Amino acid sequence: MITSVKTNKPIGHLRYFVLCLFIACSLPAVETEEENSNVSAQRYSFPSSVSELETIQARIQSSLAKVKHTVVSIEAEDGAGSGVLVSSDGLILTAAHVIGESGREMKVVFEDGTEANARSLGGSELSDAGMLQLMDSPKKPFAQIAESSESKVGDWCFALGHPSGFDQERGLVLRVGRIIRKKEETMQTDCRLLGGDSGGPLFSMDGKVIGIHSRISHDPEENFHTTIESFRSNWDYFLNEKLHTFQSMQNGGFLGVFCEESNDGLLVLEVVPDTPADKAGIMAGDVLTRLDDSPLDTREKLTIMVSSKRPGSKVVLDYLRDSFEISIRLELGERDSL
Amino acid sequence: MIPNPIPFFAFFVCACCLTGKIKQNDESLPSHLRLNGSSIGNTLGKHKEDVLQPSVGLYRNDKLIAHGVLVDRKGYLLSKASSSVGARTIRTSNDQSFSIRIRKRDEHTDLALWQITGSAQTWKTVQWLDQNKSAGLGTWSVSPGAELKDIKLGVLSANPRVILREGGVMGVLLEDTNSSVAGITITEVLPQSAGDRAGLRIMDRILRLDRRTVRTTEQINQLLKTKDPGDLLTLRVNRRGKEMDIRVTLGHRSVAFDLFNRNLLMSGPVSKRKDHFPLIIQNDLPLHKEMMGGGLYNLRGECLGINIARVDRVTTYTLPYPIILPILSGWLNELL
Repeated sequence: MITSVKTNKPIGHLRYFVLCLFIACSLPAVETEEENSNVSAQRYSFPSSVSELETIQARIQSSLAKVKHTVVSIEAEDGAGSGVLVSSDGLILTAAHVIGESGREMKVVFEDGTEANARSLGGSELSDAGMLQLMDSPKKPFAQIAESSESKVGDWCFALGHPSGFDQERGLVLRVGRIIRKKEETMQTDCRLLGGDSGGPLFSMDGKVIGIHSRISHDPEENFHTTIESFRSNWDYFLNEKLHTFQSMQNGGFLGVFCEESNDGLLVLEVVPDTPADKAGIMAGDVLTRLDDSPLDTREKLTIMVSSKRPGSKVVLDYLRDSFEISIRLELGERDSL
Repeated sequence: MIPNPIPFFAFFVCACCLTGKIKQNDESLPSHLRLNGSSIGNTLGKHKEDVLQPSVGLYRNDKLIAHGVLVDRKGYLLSKASSSVGARTIRTSNDQSFSIRIRKRDEHTDLALWQITGSAQTWKTVQWLDQNKSAGLGTWSVSPGAELKDIKLGVLSANPRVILREGGVMGVLLEDTNSSVAGITITEVLPQSAGDRAGLRIMDRILRLDRRTVRTTEQINQLLKTKDPGDLLTLRVNRRGKEMDIRVTLGHRSVAFDLFNRNLLMSGPVSKRKDHFPLIIQNDLPLHKEMMGGGLYNLRGECLGINIARVDRVTTYTLPYPIILPILSGWLNELL
């Protein structure tokens, strides 16, 4: 069920987006359009008059004035991406494929053309979240980040970035659209993006960061963003640890569950036979709530926590079964053993 | 190099397939409610007709090649000159066809004035933006869809600016030859490029360009910057010891090099001429290159300018009306 998969080379080609990594199920095409419209018609609407659209325009223009100076262009030897300043001490959110690896020296260019030096921190290739730290305090305005669950499908939003790289005369490029899907570590909008936008911010109507631009497909409505929830859930890990890569996941610890996010924690959809989870008695329908006392609010957090430990490590896993709270101790296995 | 991430994602994908629809957040915004769904036409109300009525499609051999905007009641319309070359007929938003002929053309703005022939009717013309109104970054703007039935929506998306000339290109890669041998060596000839069509070959050494001796690639690049696509250049080359003259008609940078630009591979077809404009405003409407020459309007059906180049997936350039009106009135004064 993977549609339109293309191999891509984010490192060494920062300028370009990771293409076409579109997961049909994760962002489901399962429902028929008709079903979808019936359910959603009451919940969503399109502005019914010119003046309603003009209200949206006024809100975007007022937010734009506040946040445009927080957006940066990020330059490396091999290309350019975008990012957004989110703290007074120089923390920048961007995409994992823009930083490429931790500890890299990079140049940041502000909207007014001023330059600053930065060093890449961590992030995760799973969600394509990345962080970058300016060497000196920037004395620049920074953007607010939205709370988890603040943005939802149907919301209007706007994207900023430097498509095709920094251009002082052109300036930042604005795109307006709506959230089409939002699930786990990815959201999709119809704010059309292009290479160079990677790592740039997606803003809510009131100017809070709700996502970071990640990848596109040929379809103009397929623009994907890392959710701000992914950053919030793994904040300290992204700040302090090395970039979590697909390679490191291969070599790390392994649990053996397929899950998805729910209100209470991670709902187990399937347990792979003969894995640590199976041996410990975890079953489909269980809801995983904490690992080593840390709340499991995103799927990515479980993946990162498990795979950043060595196979053989012991962990304490709390879960809910039929509203009973259960706590177990289990030993992580190896992914390769599958 | 990042390993292919697919196996890891496949891990989750199977799980989702197995479980079907148990998730509450498996929702997507119905397509008609999206930015460029079908809803915007209703939202515009009567202004939809203000946008569609003065719009026409220009056709060559029954193929849509450009859009146009009716600018005079006697049947004059503006379009993008380089896109509308060879147009024979127009189709209106109510599906009537008429013959047209070209009357004026301006290289600087890439505008052309066409006249509808064989119809005595009075045409509904475009309403230009009120001069006291401004349209800044983030202003909603709309254009007709390809068939002049629906409306495309977007915003003014970047600073107004001058777009400089990119210059003509030969579509060859060059390397300075070491000092003992005269000339600049061609190390690659891009397929379908101007150089390819003119018969340039790898390892040809360029000795002279329009009779001027060249010693560095920089000299060649400087000279090309002063030339436009379509200009003819005579090269004296040394091919395996034999000197010969080769005439190259320079091509567009966008045609020669965009094949190798991944951003443009993600953008679909773009306009051939997308450089050298005296002033443009930029928008993010999802338009095709065959829709250039059409109008860009505000939500109240007032025309902000004429879409003059599809540049990439996120960029269309529009000539603002203050650039257009002096040229247009000059032309109409002459013709009417």
